[in-house]
Amino acid sequence: MAAEKHVLLVEDNPDDEALTLRALKKAHILNPVTVLRDGAEAVEYILCTGRHAGRDPNDTPQVILLDLNLPFLGGLDVLRTIRSDPHARLLPVVVLTSSKEEEDLVASYTLGANSYVRKPVDFAEFATAVRNLGLFWLLVNESPPLQRGGAR
Amino acid sequence: MTEDERPDHFFERLLDATPDAIVIVDARGLIQLVNEQTLTLFGYAREELIGKAVETLIPERFRQGHPSFRSGYNHAPRVRPMGSANMPLYALRKDGTELHAEISLSPVKMPEGWWAIAAVRDITRQEQQQAALRRATEAAVAANHELEAFSYSVAHDLRSPLRSIDGFSQALLEDYADKLDEEGRQHLTRVRAAAQRMAQLIDDLLGLSRVTRSELFRTEVDVTSMAHDIVDALRRAHPHRDVRVLVQDGLTVHADPRLMSVALENLIGNAWKFTSKCAKATIEIGSATHDGEVVFFVRDDGAGFDMTFVNKLFTAFQRLHTRADFEGTGIGLATVMRIIRRHGGRVWAEGAVDRGATFWFTLPSA
Repeated sequence: MAAEKHVLLVEDNPDDEALTLRALKKAHILNPVTVLRDGAEAVEYILCTGRHAGRDPNDTPQVILLDLNLPFLGGLDVLRTIRSDPHARLLPVVVLTSSKEEEDLVASYTLGANSYVRKPVDFAEFATAVRNLGLFWLLVNESPPLQRGGAR
Repeated sequence: MTEDERPDHFFERLLDATPDAIVIVDARGLIQLVNEQTLTLFGYAREELIGKAVETLIPERFRQGHPSFRSGYNHAPRVRPMGSANMPLYALRKDGTELHAEISLSPVKMPEGWWAIAAVRDITRQEQQQAALRRATEAAVAANHELEAFSYSVAHDLRSPLRSIDGFSQALLEDYADKLDEEGRQHLTRVRAAAQRMAQLIDDLLGLSRVTRSELFRTEVDVTSMAHDIVDALRRAHPHRDVRVLVQDGLTVHADPRLMSVALENLIGNAWKFTSKCAKATIEIGSATHDGEVVFFVRDDGAGFDMTFVNKLFTAFQRLHTRADFEGTGIGLATVMRIIRRHGGRVWAEGAVDRGATFWFTLPSA
């Protein structure tokens, strides 16, 4: 088991990144947060390939907070890749986005998102949403066991 | 008796007076009689047509098939239009140009067989106008789609900077409260309120464009229970309000339930909002029959509005009250109108200042 439960935040907007980190800190959630700013790198990180080939595959994030609108590879494609990978497919993924369009909701849940949260404009609401997410996924929820099937 | 008054000339004058080009064809397919309009339309002199095969007036590429159509008609002679809706007819002028024609046929029984009277109408201009109209409609639909796609992406991209404005204003208020005086904090509070208001505007605009973009799924909608649900939610949100709500039993419409609920939420929500200054208020939701047509209404006894401005009521961003009096983005009634119109219904309003307002709408049944 890796030392500390960490969160993977995939977010390309530096302001949203700062606000998310601020909200986590305000909620006294001090777990480390790895921030990646594009979808392609997120996939490499999760699958331990490319720029993240040397990463410990057992050090999986406790939860992935995934924006939909990302450069290189969109959030839905990242989600699709995660769910089709034998090792990563059970990782909890929370879609965290500006959109509440029905098609984005349907696509996210169809691809196996565990949760879908719309970022509110009001920071007080945003902070509440992030705190609830952090508390639930880091404290309340039991993580899936590590997947060891397939060849690595 | 003058030349013109002879009975056979009388018949020809009658024929010349009809607005259509008339071509009378005998059982062998030879032209026996044409009127003045035929000569004008096709550019022939009368003696160039009489006794000629009717195929003279048909473009080369359709000539071959025509005799079999003619014999078919001789076997089943009746008054009917020639061709069909999706098969345009063409006729050939003397100068080789073609025209779009609409042709009706009537049979005449003659000693040696059936003659046909063909009335030919030049519809080239109508066809051109219709084609232009079709192109214009397609262009409008395409432009509309483009606009909807544009408003979708703009609305989403606009939200992110708003989140920054609101979030970092809040961060300033929290982290630098000691360095700001009361006025400075006030300013930041205004910045946050403005950001949140703009977010609300964007959401409402998105909702409005969603009404146009989404497909209609019509089914039987229980308006009575939908109205009760909406009122219950309003009561929970404003437990201090004293509002009597009368919802008629058994109200149903044939409509898209989701859009119907958006329309009702706006209408009832408006009634709720514009009675908020009344100590006691009454809201009524029901239906009536006007000239045999079922008309639904949402009525309140609140602030009402000046009928002078009734035409502005349903326009997006138009508000008939100050923001200090009643909050709102001015998009609700525009949304209601779009929803009702998309269903093929009508919506209108009656009101008077401080005497309440009634919103009426119709929905086509099935």
